[in-house]
Amino acid sequence: MVVTDPSRTSGRLLDQATDRTLVERCVDGDMRAFEVIITRYGRMMKAYAVRLTRSSADGDDVVQEALISAWKRIDTLEDGAMVKSWLMRIVSRRAIDLMRQRKDTESTDDAIIEAPEQDGPERKAEASSQLGALSEALDRLPAGQQQAWVLREIGGYSYEEIAEQLGQSVASVRGSLARARATLVREMEGWR
Amino acid sequence: MNDDDRSSEQLAAGGCAHGIDALSDYLDRDMLPADPTIDESPECQRVLRSLRRVRALATPLIEADEAAVTTLDQGWIRGIMENIEREAKAGRDIPFAMADEAATLVITEGTVRGLIRGAGDRTPGILVGRCILDGDVSVVGEPVTLHVRVSIGWGRPVTEAIAQFRDEVATGLRQHTDLVIAALDIIVDDLHFEVAETEGSREASDHE
Repeated sequence: MVVTDPSRTSGRLLDQATDRTLVERCVDGDMRAFEVIITRYGRMMKAYAVRLTRSSADGDDVVQEALISAWKRIDTLEDGAMVKSWLMRIVSRRAIDLMRQRKDTESTDDAIIEAPEQDGPERKAEASSQLGALSEALDRLPAGQQQAWVLREIGGYSYEEIAEQLGQSVASVRGSLARARATLVREMEGWR
Repeated sequence: MNDDDRSSEQLAAGGCAHGIDALSDYLDRDMLPADPTIDESPECQRVLRSLRRVRALATPLIEADEAAVTTLDQGWIRGIMENIEREAKAGRDIPFAMADEAATLVITEGTVRGLIRGAGDRTPGILVGRCILDGDVSVVGEPVTLHVRVSIGWGRPVTEAIAQFRDEVATGLRQHTDLVIAALDIIVDDLHFEVAETEGSREASDHE
């Protein structure tokens, strides 16, 4: 019953399925369809999670938890065509939760710059380019500012949604975003 | 405009009278309604250009990040699959009509859905989505109506594909279950694009 071998021929059939069909199959318990969803969006989820957590290991954990949680409640997703943004939302919630747990045990001062983990090959690929410069500038931002920026510019969330996710006031999110943008604009001056 | 935030006013850059926050809002509004104090200030325009440039890099950045995650570790995926396996969605038990009353034999609803998906996999151009068994499947001989949503391959003749799919479903269910099917309602609610098929790619199905 359990098929996890992606080389299996019928796996290729499902690669052609739309997100909506895949989601419908998942609701009916088709794990193969879920595997296709993982293959389709897992890397994007991972990239997003690593941006939010600044750690490849944490990113893996976040995506794994997000996917398991997604499988459990995929029947709550009304429009299967929206699965990508739905998954990304679960990732950001998980990532923010994890960061908040960390923050509770560490410092609560947003101003302290956390040294980003440079443990993934992800970052090196971008070196010496405009994107690399932005990547590094983001990594140098205080965690709270960086998260607000990623949620806004990559996640596409409204200020209100970000405030809710970060457990902050909208004014505080505005402040974080303004500081993040000011720094990024300044640091990217040379790349005009 | 939300430039009442004192911290953002301090961030006003290079002679621009507006804060980063206010300029970002202006960008978000597609610079409408036009604000001459921003539009006619070269300093503000410079900051706006920079803001726009950084913002435009967000999507390429995450795409580059994604591209750098070359492959997903198979062991990692397996870990997820093993985890969700415990959450298997078996559904109701469907009994067989058996002469022997001392023992029961059932097939799960989830397996029947698997059979129907398999029938779709064997039908060129059909991919089965949602599949609902409507009726009291736990009573042998009780008529059951099947509601199946399918996606059709682009360019496939719908009626032919559906006719073949009906045959496949009927055969599969007759072989593996004692279900009495009152009706098989099919809704084609999606369209997918097919890649060239190789020999035998239709043979495998998702149930054993």
